[in-house]
Amino acid sequence: MTTVAPLLAARGASKAFFGNPVLRGVSIALQPGRVHALLGENGAGKSTLINLLSGALRPDGGEIEVDGRAVPRMTPALARQAGIAVVQQELSLTASLSIAENIGLGAYPKRFGLIDYNELAARAKAACALVGLNEPLSTPVGQLALGRRQMVEIAKALYRMPRVLILDEPTSSLSATETKILTDLLERLRGEGIAILYISHRLNEVMALCQHVTVLKDGTCTADRSLQGTDAAGLVRLMVGRDPGDLFPQWQPSASPASAISVRGFSAGLMRDVDLDIRAGEVLGVGGLVGQGQEDLLLGLYGAIPAKAASAVVNGASGLPGGVPKANALGLAYVPADRKREGLHLIHPILTNMMLPAFARLPALKLRSRKTERETGKSLAAQLAIKGDLQRPAQALSGGNQQKVALAKWMPHDPLVLLLNDPTRGVDVETKREIYLMLRGFAAAGKAVVLLSSDTPELVHLCDRVAVVREGRITATLERAALSEEAIVSAAMGAEKQKVAA
Amino acid sequence: MTAWNDSTGGIRASAILKSRPFLTLAIVAAVWIAASFVSRGFGAYGHLRYLVELGAVIGLVAAGQTFVVIAGGIDLSVAAIVTVSAISLPLLSWQADPTGLVSILAVLALTTIIGVVNGLGVALLRVHPMIMTLAMATFLQGLLIIIAGGSAVTAENPLVHWLGNARPAGVPAGIILWVAVSAIVLTVMHATPFGARIFAMGANPLAASLSGVPVTSTTLAVYGISGFTAGLAGVLVLGMNGQGYVGIGDPYLLASIAAVVLGGTSILGGLGTYAGTIPGAVLLVTITALITVVNASPGWRSILFGSLILGLLLLSGREQARR
Repeated sequence: MTTVAPLLAARGASKAFFGNPVLRGVSIALQPGRVHALLGENGAGKSTLINLLSGALRPDGGEIEVDGRAVPRMTPALARQAGIAVVQQELSLTASLSIAENIGLGAYPKRFGLIDYNELAARAKAACALVGLNEPLSTPVGQLALGRRQMVEIAKALYRMPRVLILDEPTSSLSATETKILTDLLERLRGEGIAILYISHRLNEVMALCQHVTVLKDGTCTADRSLQGTDAAGLVRLMVGRDPGDLFPQWQPSASPASAISVRGFSAGLMRDVDLDIRAGEVLGVGGLVGQGQEDLLLGLYGAIPAKAASAVVNGASGLPGGVPKANALGLAYVPADRKREGLHLIHPILTNMMLPAFARLPALKLRSRKTERETGKSLAAQLAIKGDLQRPAQALSGGNQQKVALAKWMPHDPLVLLLNDPTRGVDVETKREIYLMLRGFAAAGKAVVLLSSDTPELVHLCDRVAVVREGRITATLERAALSEEAIVSAAMGAEKQKVAA
Repeated sequence: MTAWNDSTGGIRASAILKSRPFLTLAIVAAVWIAASFVSRGFGAYGHLRYLVELGAVIGLVAAGQTFVVIAGGIDLSVAAIVTVSAISLPLLSWQADPTGLVSILAVLALTTIIGVVNGLGVALLRVHPMIMTLAMATFLQGLLIIIAGGSAVTAENPLVHWLGNARPAGVPAGIILWVAVSAIVLTVMHATPFGARIFAMGANPLAASLSGVPVTSTTLAVYGISGFTAGLAGVLVLGMNGQGYVGIGDPYLLASIAAVVLGGTSILGGLGTYAGTIPGAVLLVTITALITVVNASPGWRSILFGSLILGLLLLSGREQARR
């Protein structure tokens, strides 16, 4: 392999933003027929490296090479010509355009100067077939669930017949089945001699799929080696620079018999006629394939979408909240999955973001106390290890820290029930661990935590019980003793017909 | 990004110097100084006072507009509401109301209700703010033509007359009214939870509602405030003018939006302050006065006015791209 020139490489690449070095002398070589893992915590410089490789940014020092030849002025157009395709972490699709239009965008087949829709449909269909997308091609992308949109993004890259495929956290919003389709596909593409750069926070995926790994830490390369003979713990040590310990905190039973939420015949969105009991002091996992109605379950309980129930008791009050302010008053808090769109006000200061639930419930015309706000913000930041000036806009924070702010804003209100929608999506290992510790801490303090997650190991290791949702119903409720990745996946796929007793 | 943060605690001097409200204020001062060299009499105290008095009307209309724009909407019915106020007030006078206060309150209640109806359309029927308020403006204009016809109506309300002409301690009553309204508006906007909710709604309505912000009632309140301040401006303009007629409010639609944007409030919502709108309003009347000094024909005045607003916006920095 070493005799073949790498399809795409960076040699001693450096990049600084406003005098802050983000990458220092990093080299990476993407060989044909190899899946190359790029690991590192949030802020380690992974995205910057990808941007250099794809021509979106130009290095301050060092070179980018294509087929062994240095390209002095790499641009996105040159990268496309060289067959480099990037699947971005931030989805770059246009919501109002159809699947086919999104896939072809920028490279539409033309006839007499007009878009040749028949040709586009044929080629888009082929790309969709590769990733297992069977929705009609004319479906607007905005109507798709997050995981399906991610698949469209991958199909869009494949449509361009790349020689080098760069995937930035492609599985963070995918279900287990979709992840399986993707990994099979990447295996096949690798066999066809495509060079693949794979970024993921999920180490088991990396171990299973990749042959070679580059680890970044604080903008420098701490490892560039074959994956053979390494283990996950060793990789984490390289990324974090210290011994990893256990990602998941020790599980200890803390569930009490007291019920926090109890609903019978609950329907909201995709969810139909569901019975569910949530106990105080437990972490209840909600699993299943992406888009089976799990999110509607949380939003319905939270009063953010219309919901009805035959009977419902929420923290001692009978009846569903029916509105977010009412739900907040009953001690419910919700942390959304898409923190940029649903969780945060990116253009507003971190402090204002943290205080928003307070502003929402205080008397409208009561005078604010800036001093109290600053003190609350400071103590929240200390509690959750959010560093830096709280007057910066929230968009200045890395993904992991943004997620912490989205969580922190509920803390002053001491919620009794915390509804979490995939809180660790796209979050680095260190922050994940902090969030896990917090969740167990909540449960130990007698609160109920409902954890919707697309990360199955998370459900297995963190939860007291897991409710598996399929086609709008809870098809199984797995007790702690029965929890395993296999059990969750098979219940999610409907392989297991009989209900496990709750 | 605008240097002004709605919750900046200890504002440093440099932040103030770079902020949009200050920049707008500096432009006003520069224009005043330059114009007083060119045209004698422009810089006279009496003339400048007159400019600020005229600015008060725009400033009042733009107060509500600032709330609406920060909350992520826009109110295109303010001109019609000013006219409604200026025409219905003379019609609503009672013998048993010697000061005229009751009829003023009745008119303000009416314009507030019009604003709340705008809010209902936006919040509950989910009509786009532009469509809702434009439809409301058209509806009101039709109604006014039916009620008032083509003739002007004269106000015989003592309080309205006082508001438009009195000068306690040498300061026009209209300016005093504007100062009082400004103090209340700035307090509500930057020092109450209600104000914080408005900024949150404008920056990200979905995240705001998931954080527990009562979006429907806040939207009603915001458009209600806009109706109220437009009504107040109508009362003031009637007092200064003596007569109300159909079309009296027309100049205040573009002016209110221009004052808001010139003051640095983002037309996309979520960022801004009334502290910028205030000098923005004064800047607008200053431009109008300069154009009048030039002695152009009405057609050319409009062309100059439009071009100057565009030019000033380009000068003072356009919206930065944001996602």
